[in-house]
Amino acid sequence: MAGNNGESFGDIILHHVTNDLDHIYMPIHLLGVNLSITKHVIMLWIVGLFTISLAVWGTRRYRKNINATPKGLSHLYEILMNFIRDDIVKNTIGEKEGRFWLPLITTYFVFILTANLLGLIPLFEFIPGGSATVTGNFAVTVALASITFFSIIIAGSMKHGFIGYWKQMAPSNVPKPVLLILIPIEIMGMFIRPLALTLRLGANMTAGHIGMVAIFGLPILLHQFSVGIISTILNTGIFFLEIIVSLVQAYVFTLLSAVFIGMAIHSEH
Amino acid sequence: MEGLSVFGAAIGAGLSVIGAAIGIGKIFASAAEATARQPEAANEIRTTVNLPLFLLEGVAIISLVVCILAVVL
Repeated sequence: MAGNNGESFGDIILHHVTNDLDHIYMPIHLLGVNLSITKHVIMLWIVGLFTISLAVWGTRRYRKNINATPKGLSHLYEILMNFIRDDIVKNTIGEKEGRFWLPLITTYFVFILTANLLGLIPLFEFIPGGSATVTGNFAVTVALASITFFSIIIAGSMKHGFIGYWKQMAPSNVPKPVLLILIPIEIMGMFIRPLALTLRLGANMTAGHIGMVAIFGLPILLHQFSVGIISTILNTGIFFLEIIVSLVQAYVFTLLSAVFIGMAIHSEH
Repeated sequence: MEGLSVFGAAIGAGLSVIGAAIGIGKIFASAAEATARQPEAANEIRTTVNLPLFLLEGVAIISLVVCILAVVL
């Protein structure tokens, strides 16, 4: 399965779905940490710019007049915000605390959805240096999940007090030997939740792209260019599946973050 | 030795997919049954089904990542 220049087919696929660390636009080393500008950093900036400008542009009518009639993009933005507020935050966190956590949850949804969908646009493949999907990079999803990790602790501490939050993780009405098993499980669960969030988002986004690139690589692998017709048709279908996966993963990450924050607030052992 | 780790990872990936498939199948079978019995509670059932489904998916993906790591590392 050797390619033209000694690379195996797997290496070629991996090059297209991961961040190419050899293609560095601007090397930055700060305190021994590698902070170089690679393609994913540039894509991250584009996604951030897109998210911010969408928010500024989508809400410009309401900043002038709070009761303005929605029109065009602000209509779409209002539907999105209403969906997140009513279907995700109100059901999981609750009305009162939900108002405080709503900005974080909406930012999660819009940011992840933008990153997923921009990664599907083939135009960004013209920027050299690997894949265009920021959320397929585990470093990005680790960063997002650690925001959730600290949000869970902050949410619990705000409701029950800092000591009270840690205390009620170990319920008081169980026999002492059970605590010996229960406390390690609770501590493990604390770290496994963000880990699951990280792996779910990153693995789902990477796996879809690996599938798509592999199917497009079939004609080259088989030296049979008529296979290309089949793989193009197949990939058109998979592309629509990828759009659904993008929506679902943005929803899942948002929903689970909201559920975990809500669990810290409403935990009654 | 290299081939053995690939073999083990492939078997493990298959097993974890079997487990996840059984779990997701059971969730949706009972969801469909519940919706058929009480169609007016369809929305509530859908939101109840979502959370365990995503948690199950997360477990399956973690096991698949472990399988990949067994090959790569």
